Amino acid sequence: MAKSGPPQQPKKIQPPMTPMIDIVFQLLIFFLLIPSQSGEAYLTTNLPKTSGPVAGEKQQDIKRVKIELQVPEGDDKGVIIVLNESRSFGRNFEGLLAALQGLKQRGLPPDHPVLISPWMSCRHKWVVRAFDMAVAARFKNVHFAVPYI
Amino acid sequence: MARHKKGKSAVSGAVSFNMTPMIDIVFNLLIFFILTSQFSQLEIEQVTLPVSMAAKTKQVADYRNVVINLVEPDAPKCVVLGQQVDYRVREGDNELSAMLKDFKGDKEGKSLNVILRADELIPYEAVASVMLGVAKAQIEGWWITTELADQEEILDG
Repeated sequence: MAKSGPPQQPKKIQPPMTPMIDIVFQLLIFFLLIPSQSGEAYLTTNLPKTSGPVAGEKQQDIKRVKIELQVPEGDDKGVIIVLNESRSFGRNFEGLLAALQGLKQRGLPPDHPVLISPWMSCRHKWVVRAFDMAVAARFKNVHFAVPYI
Repeated sequence: MARHKKGKSAVSGAVSFNMTPMIDIVFNLLIFFILTSQFSQLEIEQVTLPVSMAAKTKQVADYRNVVINLVEPDAPKCVVLGQQVDYRVREGDNELSAMLKDFKGDKEGKSLNVILRADELIPYEAVASVMLGVAKAQIEGWWITTELADQEEILDG
């Protein structure tokens, strides 16, 4: 028996949007917060007993590349870079990088020791930047000088 | 009478739970605990980190770490697990090296990493003092926290 009357329109299915929007917002907030945490990165260095700063042990004076970070007079937040106690680069880290790459090209091996020797009042960011340049020049054996006690 | 009947029929109707708000709350709690557990593991203080191009991202939770914060560049303070610690160099152990030795002793058998989170304007003297404290505790894993940047950004800065 055929049904009489006009054909019935299929029912419109309308899923509830509210919980979906809730969850989307939650996920949005979550992923906005997470990168602020994972944006941090780490410079890994070791403090080995033989070449690291072990109290009471004086380091042997071996021929190494020395990057001294001085603090200019009247600008305690500035820096002057001195390489091997002879070449000064002012605040030019690009120049330091080029000089380190030059040393490398002249035959220094990657594991040749590099010593970063900042003045005690030198700001941490310059120390990290000098370390960066040494690593960018493909030196792997980078140390920091610390006061001898 | 009519009033009474109406009330009776309302009580006998099927009771259904609305699951949506419950799921919402469960998700909220999940996100909250994920975030707070990460923060408590890191024990971080608010600092402006130096930028670096050589640094690498790591899953901190995969290692056993102690986070040392160096804050307030004008009068540097060392904060470990929310507690201010004396880090100044002296003969024998200072408070920091003694604390690190305790940590190391607590978890014998596994190597311990020290993560330094120092403000970019902290004088090197404070960083060097912390390094000495770490070396005294005979910890060899030493990480410096930075923010990642590319080479151009660093050289221009």
